[in-house]
Amino acid sequence: MTFAIEMSSQPSAPSINPPTLSGILRALLRADLTVQLRNGRALLLTFFPPLAVFYGLSTAKRGAQLGGAIVNVALALTLGIALIAILGYTASVARDRELGVFQRLRVTPAPTWTIMVSRLALQILSMLAMSVVVLVAAAVVENVRLDPAAYLLTLAMVIFSSAVFLGVGQALVGLIKSVDTVNAVGRLSFLPLVALGLFAHSTIFGTTFETIARWSPGGAVATLLGGAMQPAAWSADTWWALLASVLYAVVFAGIGIRWFQWSPR
Amino acid sequence: MSSISETAPQRLALQVENLHVSYGSKRAVDGVSLDINESEIFGLLGPNGAGKTSTLSAIEGLVKPDSGSIRIGDVDARANPAAARARMGVQLQSTSFQSNLTIREIVRLYAGLYGVALTRAGIDDLLADVHLEEEASKRFSQLSGGQQKRVSLLIATIHSPPLVLLDEPTAGLDPQARRQLWDRIERLRDIGRSILLTTHSMEEAQAVCHRVAVIDNGKLLTVDTPAGLIEKHKDDPRVRKAAHGQVTLEDVFIGLTGSDLRD
Ligand SMILES: Nc1ncnc2c1ncn2[C@@H]1O[C@H](COP(=O)(O)OP(=O)(O)OP(=O)(O)O)[C@@H](O)[C@H]1O
Ligand SMILES: [Mg+2]
Repeated sequence: MTFAIEMSSQPSAPSINPPTLSGILRALLRADLTVQLRNGRALLLTFFPPLAVFYGLSTAKRGAQLGGAIVNVALALTLGIALIAILGYTASVARDRELGVFQRLRVTPAPTWTIMVSRLALQILSMLAMSVVVLVAAAVVENVRLDPAAYLLTLAMVIFSSAVFLGVGQALVGLIKSVDTVNAVGRLSFLPLVALGLFAHSTIFGTTFETIARWSPGGAVATLLGGAMQPAAWSADTWWALLASVLYAVVFAGIGIRWFQWSPR
Repeated sequence: MSSISETAPQRLALQVENLHVSYGSKRAVDGVSLDINESEIFGLLGPNGAGKTSTLSAIEGLVKPDSGSIRIGDVDARANPAAARARMGVQLQSTSFQSNLTIREIVRLYAGLYGVALTRAGIDDLLADVHLEEEASKRFSQLSGGQQKRVSLLIATIHSPPLVLLDEPTAGLDPQARRQLWDRIERLRDIGRSILLTTHSMEEAQAVCHRVAVIDNGKLLTVDTPAGLIEKHKDDPRVRKAAHGQVTLEDVFIGLTGSDLRD
């Protein structure tokens, strides 16, 4: 049995031109986009929970107590962003590391940061898509309509908020190697990081709890998104939430990048 | 211990000098030096845990060596890893690709990462060359072990690199697939590529490698042609003790590395 040789159609002179950065990024983004669109679980995790939470908050009696329609939208967006980052992103990175996908990518001329940046860009794109869907649902179902400028500001703050939770996700998957542990810790950390934020605008558990909730990552992001949806009511609190978000993003992302473990062993 | 290039001035595809790699306090590579000539197939033999993969990982830039120098052609791999990686093709010991991509998409991705422009028809031609045209739309995990190895070798050579590093390329292959892979490796050499491969098969080392090195506990014990190694060590008492009659390459290997089981 004979094999045609794969090199026969190529020049035998070795190609030694390193590829261009834009070519590398294009190849990575294209592959990561394909993976994202083909991953049913990721798609479900992207769109279903924030819509369900928004619906739940809007119809529940105590929904009003959590802070009204705008807050409901902000909370749904916060949850959606956090789910994509803390459960979806970490699971896919942990799994690919375990399979050796990253090691194979790292022996190509692609700079290491491009591998992560491409994946992060895809996560932010998913978050924007999720936000548009939630905002449209809010407009149609609950009649929450914003000025065009407020929509733009909201989407800008969605990108901003993504840094908080992607930073958390990066720290989580950077420090923990085991796929199962990453998933378990991701779910556990959801409570203090995100679920607490649901009560950032409600005193149903008392004011101390509200304060803690407000300054949790989820609370800060929810305040920030709520503020962006009503730019006229942007207040000192919104600025503080912005500052807190920056701090969370820098600290978590710093840890996740500095100590990221590429090798599965 | 350093290797000897017995043939007069030859251009080197890979030059490793005094390489040290450790993981925490564990020394995995302890002063390895290797020269690989152009158009040479070089085999790295060693028991499990000897430091073969670690040596390759340092050359590939996956682990940072404690010390030592690595040159790929005229590129200093430690100073200029991206240029070095553009000049080498790699098949890792255990490799996988994104599980949601088809084989065709994987080939397209890696062509892009190595800066090789390929049309869809071009990709399908490459896949047909390795008899994977039927598998183009399957996922990597759906392929047999032998098919997976063919995909990884195709990707390792997609940019026609002057140096190809293959970590146990024939492990788990049936005899037919193994021989086809040998043919492929020999044809790479025939068009001027240099190949550094690791293997646990003495038969393979003898069949395809010009020179082999034996490594154990991170140290290079000996380097020569397979016949040269037998000649050089056939009177070593440890080798004599391992031999059942005529001294074979495996007797030399067992003699030099001992008969204890490794991790
Ligand atoms: N990431 C790592 N962390 C800690 N120790 C490691 C790591 N990788 C390898 N080692 C250790 O370094 C030593 C050399 O391992 P290496 O993988 O290089 O061996 P090898 O010769 O390729 O073995 P095999 O034939 O089994 O593939 C072993 O003792 C191994 O346990
Ligand atoms: Mg190995």
